[in-house]
Amino acid sequence: MSTFGLLLSQFADALSQSALLFFLGVGLTLIFGLMRIVNFAHGALYMLGAFVGYSLAHWSGNYWVALAGAPMLVGLFGVAFEFSILRRLYRRDAHAFLMVTFGLALVLGEAVRLTWGSDALKVAAPPALSGVIFLLDEPFPVYRLFLAATGIVVAVAIWQFLERSRLGLLIRATSQNAEMANALGVDIKLIRSCVFGIGCGLAALGGVLAAPLVTASNGMAATVIIDAFVIVIIGGMGSFLGSLIGALLIGFVQVFGNYYAPDFALAFMYLVMLVVLVVRPGGLLGKEA
Amino acid sequence: MTGATRMKGATRLICIVVLLALVLAPLGLPPFAMTLLTEAVILGLFAMSLDLMFGYTRLVSFGHAAAYGFGAYASGWLLLHTGMPLLFAVFAAGLLTGVLAIGIGWMCTLATGVSFSMLTLALAQLLYAISFKWTSVTGGSDGLAGIPRTIGPFGFAALSSKAGFYYLALGCLVGGFLVCFALVRSPFGAVLRGIRENESKTTALGYNTRLYKIAVVAISYGLGGLAGALYAPFAGFANTELLFWLLSGQVLIMVIVGGAGTLIGPVLGAAFFMLMEHQLSAWTEAWALYFGLIFIAFVLFAPEGIWGLATRLRRAHPRP
Repeated sequence: MSTFGLLLSQFADALSQSALLFFLGVGLTLIFGLMRIVNFAHGALYMLGAFVGYSLAHWSGNYWVALAGAPMLVGLFGVAFEFSILRRLYRRDAHAFLMVTFGLALVLGEAVRLTWGSDALKVAAPPALSGVIFLLDEPFPVYRLFLAATGIVVAVAIWQFLERSRLGLLIRATSQNAEMANALGVDIKLIRSCVFGIGCGLAALGGVLAAPLVTASNGMAATVIIDAFVIVIIGGMGSFLGSLIGALLIGFVQVFGNYYAPDFALAFMYLVMLVVLVVRPGGLLGKEA
Repeated sequence: MTGATRMKGATRLICIVVLLALVLAPLGLPPFAMTLLTEAVILGLFAMSLDLMFGYTRLVSFGHAAAYGFGAYASGWLLLHTGMPLLFAVFAAGLLTGVLAIGIGWMCTLATGVSFSMLTLALAQLLYAISFKWTSVTGGSDGLAGIPRTIGPFGFAALSSKAGFYYLALGCLVGGFLVCFALVRSPFGAVLRGIRENESKTTALGYNTRLYKIAVVAISYGLGGLAGALYAPFAGFANTELLFWLLSGQVLIMVIVGGAGTLIGPVLGAAFFMLMEHQLSAWTEAWALYFGLIFIAFVLFAPEGIWGLATRLRRAHPRP
């Protein structure tokens, strides 16, 4: 067993962890950037994604159907929620959103428990991804490599979408100055619905991708939401690149911390966040000081 | 200007009646209800302490559980390991929390707005992580158990009984309210409201707003710590959950549901929260579902909270 091989497998492990965290963080940061909403329900949507994914995989017998279907369904749910409830609150104080999304998190958590029960559900990875590969004599699960690859693909796709597509342009314009965008004829209501849906869909994508690794369970929402917050805060609320950097930083801190200093791993994550915030109160790439 | 800054005659009468009912409660209520009421009083103090920051200064603490949990661990540790009597341990723990909060306030006020909230969250989670790992002091994931209500040498024996402890908690709540009430009516409070409405203007008027903010964080955390310090000997234990972010979220909701910036509102919010949780969980297993729906309904239909709703109803139907 070579030291280099061990390091390499840890590196890949951290990369896959970062990918999972990135799916959560990027949705959260997009939603915040556009609507100034701190979405407390993001963890619950991640959990919902995992459970919907379980049902889809169970029903169709095909993991890929779940992978494509769950984010779409949860995304549609997000659009419906924005359309029916959040839309009434944009003129109100920011804490109205805090309460509404906190309420949504409670409702979703309970709805999931009522629908799928309290037991953790195992989602099987597809056969092609369930084996083990050797990285310099070090065994490594293929599924984690797949996760890391998906993370990279999705990150590039979102980046291209934001920079190149028309909708991406409108999203960036609305984030920068919603009133001006509105005055120029952009339907910002539609943009908000879209972005909230996309953010929810990305959280669900994270959930359905995580399901084969950690099983779908009722507790997965509470632990993950705080990780997502930390990432977004480190990167700077509203910054796409920031959420990517934050996810990588925290992914690596978690994986290497757990291996080399398990006693301090948890504290280490918050220490990183604290140091970043004290040095740059708006986050690494955030605008507000 | 909302709420408690200037008390109307009718409001004062209602407050006196409620206070009297609270003082007489141990005579008529069964022990189980007393336990619930004591917890509601403790949580009320906790929510009120946050209102000082959230309602009056618009400093949104996302990590107020840090105050509660730290106070609980501090009083628990003092009671378990030093043989300090209950009364002293509780106040010492509150004071310790306030002193710690000077540091927290200094660090968090480096930032403003959402970043301030996130710094409070980060510090609270750091304490949470420490409470897990510093087993020799905090008991790790087991927490501190079997916390006694030590009777001191000066004969405060009555405080350790069920009713006595209730009066101790009620005394702290009323005392806390009087302190906060005096504070928000004082020139100090006027500066806090100035910070809430327009911080740069307040700075331009020559006030060092950062010092005021650190002071209000210290007082708010100190009172929150006092509430936590009461909780530990009340429940007989202190565990990591008291430092978890979920509690920070819940107390923020209590303040908003009750009515921020009114001091009394958050106490009502805490009582409402407790009552709902208890009633719903007795009635249905899926209580969190209805709980969540109630919150959403509150935001949509009663944005000023319970206290604001009551005020509005009274204005809409004035007595002849």
